[in-house]
Amino acid sequence: MPDHDRDRSVENVLRHVLSDGASSQKQSICPDAETIAAWHEGALGTADATAMERHVADCSRCRALMAAFIQTTPATPVVESIWRRWHLGWAVPLATAATAAALWIAVPRNTSLPTPSGESRTVSVDAVAPAAPAATPPSAAAAPPALTQTESLQVARAFAIREKSEPASEQESASKPSEDQRAAATALSARIEADKREDANSARPQGAAAPEAAVAPRVATVTRAATLREEIAIALTEIVAPGGTARWRIVGGRRIERAPGPGGEWASALIDAPDPLTAGAAPSATVCWIVGRRGAVYVTADGMRFVRVPFPEMSDLVSVTATDVQRATVSSADGRSWTTVDQGRTWSAGQ
Amino acid sequence: MPSWRLPGALAARLHETARADRWDVPVASFAAVLERSAGRAFATSPDSRELERHLTSLHLEDLALACACASGHEGAWEHFVREYRPLLYRAADAIDPRGGSRELADSLYGELFGVVERAGERRSLFQYFHGRSSLSTWLRAVLAQRHVDRVRTTRRFESLTAEDGGSKEPPQHDPDPSLVQAGGVRQPHAERYVEVMRRAVSAAVARLTPKDRLRLGYYYADDLTLAQIGRALKEHEATVSRNLARARRDIRRDVERQLRDQEHMSPGQIQECFAAVVDDVGALDVTDLLGKRKDSRDERSKERPEGASA
Repeated sequence: MPDHDRDRSVENVLRHVLSDGASSQKQSICPDAETIAAWHEGALGTADATAMERHVADCSRCRALMAAFIQTTPATPVVESIWRRWHLGWAVPLATAATAAALWIAVPRNTSLPTPSGESRTVSVDAVAPAAPAATPPSAAAAPPALTQTESLQVARAFAIREKSEPASEQESASKPSEDQRAAATALSARIEADKREDANSARPQGAAAPEAAVAPRVATVTRAATLREEIAIALTEIVAPGGTARWRIVGGRRIERAPGPGGEWASALIDAPDPLTAGAAPSATVCWIVGRRGAVYVTADGMRFVRVPFPEMSDLVSVTATDVQRATVSSADGRSWTTVDQGRTWSAGQ
Repeated sequence: MPSWRLPGALAARLHETARADRWDVPVASFAAVLERSAGRAFATSPDSRELERHLTSLHLEDLALACACASGHEGAWEHFVREYRPLLYRAADAIDPRGGSRELADSLYGELFGVVERAGERRSLFQYFHGRSSLSTWLRAVLAQRHVDRVRTTRRFESLTAEDGGSKEPPQHDPDPSLVQAGGVRQPHAERYVEVMRRAVSAAVARLTPKDRLRLGYYYADDLTLAQIGRALKEHEATVSRNLARARRDIRRDVERQLRDQEHMSPGQIQECFAAVVDDVGALDVTDLLGKRKDSRDERSKERPEGASA
């Protein structure tokens, strides 16, 4: 009998065993609806979540309950990282190296970007990625600045924009990029390469005629690459609540995801953001402020549902600090700041 | 109610964060709700940091709304009706597209309103919401719980009626695979082989991780699709498929090992064991138990896990 026929036999028996056998095992007390809901939202601690999983796996009633519950869950596709597929595993270091090389060549070091003020709780990309690569030791480059527990940390891990001379092993140990980061970096790397090719093609007919014209595509590439580098920062921004009790991340500049605690699963938060989001601050596990371009300010009090906060100007906001759901200070790219103490109903400038 | 008290300043701050004043919830009432919630989380008196971390992680706005609804605040109830009733109906329709669960949603709605009065006290289902999840997720979980309990109760009732002679149909038993085998001709040792296979598969399943057991249960007993299992376990459906295929392969190897090492069977006997259940379609179908559509299996046939038999 071939293996697939034996598998069929196993499946036939499994249907019986799992239907009537599961409930025969000794069970702990079935959890209440709120524990089930909290488990689904990833709000249980590790020990509780493990106990829940064990219980539901062996209790036919709770498993059926979960099965019915799942049918009520709106279909939000879970994206499988392409890096999980074994045959693409080799591409991880290659893509990372290619991204690093492309950005190193294309993007000049910009040391003039505004860095957060002393009170700011956000860390810009360049605060993490050193401005002078050769002068900064790798360990210092990877380590975020020391922040107090109450501070909200925005980590934009531009892991690819790091020491080009940094040994691979040190890069890995210093800051291991997540799968999303790898994917974002690879996609952006591919776009940079495509842009370069496009620019080169457009330059060819003009290159011989005018020497200045040959410079233009290079400038365009550099500008675009700078934009892309900014996009990396936006794509990889992570906001951590005090004590790491919750995390939010800005995905693709317009989406927010939240994970409860350090090991929790990411879930999409509700936000309607037509403009790119740039930074955030989380004074607690449920309160998070997010700012973006053209005066975009959002806040959530339950961690998941963000509401737009009125803002008087169409400035591009680049950082935010917050103490609670009512009080926050936002800063624009040109260095101005505004403060609210009533969740955006009124703003005072220059504080 | 816990023996310790919530610090007043913290209660006031959380009351403000929850915007509980929208629903005229007094700080003292909200503090009592928070204490009840924390009382469930901590067996003993928690230290202040632990307590604050727990309380700030709650869905405070939802908790304030639930608190106001439980006390019968008109504005809160109107808000709840506007925001959550459609959600409840959508969930009911998702559980039973024929509308069978709408009735459950309506009765749940009544319980939430608090129709039961005990000693002059309004008893609302909202009192069981402690803010650990969002209100919408909790509502869906309660609805799913009611649905499953109703189905199981109905099933038990029908079973008792049949035993009492209410049905003329003969009692349902699993079809004997040994009879199914070879066109109804009983094979020697077939019954024993079926029993051995059941035992071996049960033992192999018990050795899997809880997550693997859960995945198998969702797929083979609850008839969830790969995408639904993926949503439940936060996995991509391709990952679900791969993991199901791996678990099934592990079970097969485990069963083969058990038959060889514990039952001391020859390769021929092992072969016969597998053959004894190869055509067993199974009689106890949880799809029927849960009142689900029969065509879900047809839908699922298009998305068999990797290497699964047709």
